Amino acid sequence: MSKRLLTTLVAVLAIALFAGSAFADSVKIAVAAPFTGAAAPYGDNVKAGVQIKVDEINAAGGLGGKTLEVVWMDEQCDPKEAATVAPKIAQDKSILAVVGHVCSSAHLAALPFYVREGVAAISATATNPSISEKNKDRAGKVWSFRNVYRDDFQGIFMARYAKNVLNLPSVAVFYENNDYGIGLKDSFVGEAKKLGLKIAGEEAYIKGAQDFTPQLTKFKATDAKGIFLAGYYGEGALIAAQAKKLGMDVVKMGGDGLDNVDYIKLGATSAENTFLAVPFLEDVASPEAKAFVAKFKDTYKRDADYMSVNAYDAAGMVAEAILKGGADRAKVRDYLAGFTAARPYMGIGGKTVFDAKGDCEKPAFVKTVKDGKFVAAPKQMN
Amino acid sequence: MNTKTLLRNALLLAVLAIPLLPFAGDYLLHVLTLIMVYMVLAMGLNVVPGLCGMLDLGFVGFYGVGAYTCGLLTMNYELSLWLILPIAALNGAVWGILRGAPTLRLTGDYFAIVTFGFSELVVLFLTNEIWLTRGPLGLPGIAPASIDLSWLSKAINPEWDWYWEFIGEKPYFYMAFVMVVGVFFMMRRIEDSRIGRAWFAIREDDLAAASAGIDVQIYKVIAYAVSAAIGAVAGSFLARWTMFLSPDMFKFWESFLVLCMIVLGGLGNMTGALLGSVVLIAMGELLREILPRLGMPAETRFIVYGLIMVLIMRFKPSGFLPKIADAALHNPIIVELRRSLKAKGVV
Amino acid sequence: MLEQQLINGLTLGVIYALIAVGYSMVYGVIELINFAHGEIYMFGAFFCATFITAFGLPFFPAMALAMICCACLGVLLDIFAYRPLRRAPRLAPLITAIGMSIFLQNLAMIVWGSRPKPFPQEALPAFFHETALTFSGVQLSWLQLFIFSLTIVLMIGLNLVITRTKTGTAMRALAQNQRAAALMGINVNRIISFTFMIGSSLGAVAGILVSVFYNTMYPTMGYNAGVKAFAAAVLGGIGSVPGAMLGGIVLGVAEALGAGYVSSLYRDGVAYAVLIAVILFRPTGLFGKAVRQKA
Repeated sequence: MSKRLLTTLVAVLAIALFAGSAFADSVKIAVAAPFTGAAAPYGDNVKAGVQIKVDEINAAGGLGGKTLEVVWMDEQCDPKEAATVAPKIAQDKSILAVVGHVCSSAHLAALPFYVREGVAAISATATNPSISEKNKDRAGKVWSFRNVYRDDFQGIFMARYAKNVLNLPSVAVFYENNDYGIGLKDSFVGEAKKLGLKIAGEEAYIKGAQDFTPQLTKFKATDAKGIFLAGYYGEGALIAAQAKKLGMDVVKMGGDGLDNVDYIKLGATSAENTFLAVPFLEDVASPEAKAFVAKFKDTYKRDADYMSVNAYDAAGMVAEAILKGGADRAKVRDYLAGFTAARPYMGIGGKTVFDAKGDCEKPAFVKTVKDGKFVAAPKQMN
Repeated sequence: MNTKTLLRNALLLAVLAIPLLPFAGDYLLHVLTLIMVYMVLAMGLNVVPGLCGMLDLGFVGFYGVGAYTCGLLTMNYELSLWLILPIAALNGAVWGILRGAPTLRLTGDYFAIVTFGFSELVVLFLTNEIWLTRGPLGLPGIAPASIDLSWLSKAINPEWDWYWEFIGEKPYFYMAFVMVVGVFFMMRRIEDSRIGRAWFAIREDDLAAASAGIDVQIYKVIAYAVSAAIGAVAGSFLARWTMFLSPDMFKFWESFLVLCMIVLGGLGNMTGALLGSVVLIAMGELLREILPRLGMPAETRFIVYGLIMVLIMRFKPSGFLPKIADAALHNPIIVELRRSLKAKGVV
Repeated sequence: MLEQQLINGLTLGVIYALIAVGYSMVYGVIELINFAHGEIYMFGAFFCATFITAFGLPFFPAMALAMICCACLGVLLDIFAYRPLRRAPRLAPLITAIGMSIFLQNLAMIVWGSRPKPFPQEALPAFFHETALTFSGVQLSWLQLFIFSLTIVLMIGLNLVITRTKTGTAMRALAQNQRAAALMGINVNRIISFTFMIGSSLGAVAGILVSVFYNTMYPTMGYNAGVKAFAAAVLGGIGSVPGAMLGGIVLGVAEALGAGYVSSLYRDGVAYAVLIAVILFRPTGLFGKAVRQKA
């Protein structure tokens, strides 16, 4: 019996021996994201974006002659798993930086390891405001950045758009009961109250919910002319479709969470008349961005969404930091922190700068759905 | 000292020495600590299905209660972990009794579904009562564990400051080790006591146990309370160790995982529960390392994981270390005998 | 509004009922909580959509084929994961069920990708989404009517199979006493396989109806549905087929009313609270028989 225990323990020890082998002619970064479990689609989006960037870099001769290698780490969007892969990444000194995590809760659980060991992480998707309070080491250095809006920014932006551009008198709010949904909803509702936009009701749902008719039935009885969808495209499309089934003719609004072509695929005709805030608009994008969109479509047979765009840029920032800052964790961090107004990163998602908290500032655009396609909204707001 | 104790002590010493090894980085220590957290959970859950024979599918509820008790007390009142541990254990036990007492007359899968519903309600509460738990935003920045003996040292010599904060994985590793050993020996004592024997009697046949003078209901309630208290202790450790809590850490999948550990190890056998935790956690981490080396993408990890679980059960239907009584009970001859007696209406 | 909420709940409920029946039948015969049943339901939806998009089959033949495929999958599941453990301790097959559930879910993720997919709508009869009935402000689509009527037909058919055919009688005999049934010349393994076939094909129907109705399917959809159906089966009295139907409907309606009138945050909470309350007052579920059993 003890023998077996011993064998198993030896097997566990073997993990440590396995880890830590590196090739001299390559530089490594880690991508920590959910590749299995319920949040796997988001991990898939991030993986696709990073993969394209890495392939481009390596096709162009790598970073200073060294190939850029990616270590994919599955953490299922689970804080416990994230806290397990984080030390694995942090202790492998050949990994220079992390792109991840996807979910805020996983990011928060992993942060202490990155801060303690000194490895910079850029999240392309984590929006929880708490992250900007927990990402500093004792010297006050920020180790976690994100090139995605904080939830509060988009909520305020869309509330103004609803009131000033769409002229809606009253809006009902659906939010996914997670940090993204709550943050987005709170900022939208807060701004709406300031502007005098009436909130007809707030209803929550959990990830993976399929039936929204009870909540919609409630909304139908109110005077709401619009629905604000503080959540992601999968559930957002179902809400739009079920609203139509119930005979509700309403304007749909949302944040970047809705920005995926699956929103239109799943929602079909009910996706029309949706307005969403996005960091990236193909119509006004740079030629590089247009090339990315075309390449993405060619490779993955679907349209790129904001997650892939952000992930592509996050990988780009890390690569630039390794090349120009130096192949050293601290130097990579310093270079990333240096993306300020004086020296912004010019990515496909536009000009990106980090503030002192590691949060980013980016332009915002409004997209809408017309004839089964995402197009720029006729009226932008600036 | 016979060979068995010698081997056991050597093993304990070997585990204690792991953090001193040159290649033992944070990752290895973290995984080992995680294994030990699951060992405590497995020993806690083992009480109800293993010792009393009641299928519990909602154990993670108590884990969550313990973790949030600790997290909230730390964040709002800055209590020391050593004070929180008994409070959390007590809170867990109270919930164990609250869940257990009304369900005493339920049997089999009806009991299982109530335990399951309970743990889902705990998660819903943690998710939705934002005023208390911050809901899905989670509790970030829980203070790490610490030992504060400055009051003692100051009394001896004002210059001294005996205060240690647990930073890094090593202190938690040792703390978890102490926790596992403590719970293990406590449970061993209970198993050998009147309570433990009563539990075994209930598991084998509660009617016979009752007619032998055992108050079945009282002993079942004790089992629920003990089990829940152990789960809550593991939860409080988790809170101070990960320094972050969110409701989705306590989804019912965790209950299943712990259940798989004790069944895989051999239901009712504590050493088996320990072994089961090692196997299931180490397997996930080993696959993370091995599969990419075989050229398989990260997405395939759980396919292999699920398959291995099925194969282990197939070839070891009673787990790695079956409890003797249980093994005898499933001996084909005895099974046949019981069936024929049942058919005749004797039993 | 109440009528609309009731209709919402009923639609959800009959679907839960279809999955729950599969659970309950298997449980009745071999006392196993088949946690992989939710995965069969998910495979049903994906099989059907694949037959439509890849082979260009019309909806109804694709559905029939998906039912057959899932029936085979169910039998394979039994042969591979449960049959070797017939004499093992009771919790052993539960663990293999969990293992198979993990395996199948991740297999689907590799085969079909993890992102949610729309159901190929072009294969559906065009009138499905048109409104069939309107009464006092409540709209009922043809699809909903189709779901209700198909479920009722399947349930009646199932009841006939169980009560009127020789195989059905054998199933009931097996549920009462496996050994005695074997002595009467019943081929136990064949009947168990048959039970898995029926249960799995009903699960497949539920999966297809859900993905058509909500126009979405994804590899993790079996997880929640499986759990709800298990709850419904227990609520009705596990092992009882009419109980599973009623349990599913009660759970669906409780959920819809809970989301409509209590709080959508506690939608599942209301369902579980109803479940716990019913079981506390009727410890063997709505239709269950009081049987002394051992864990």
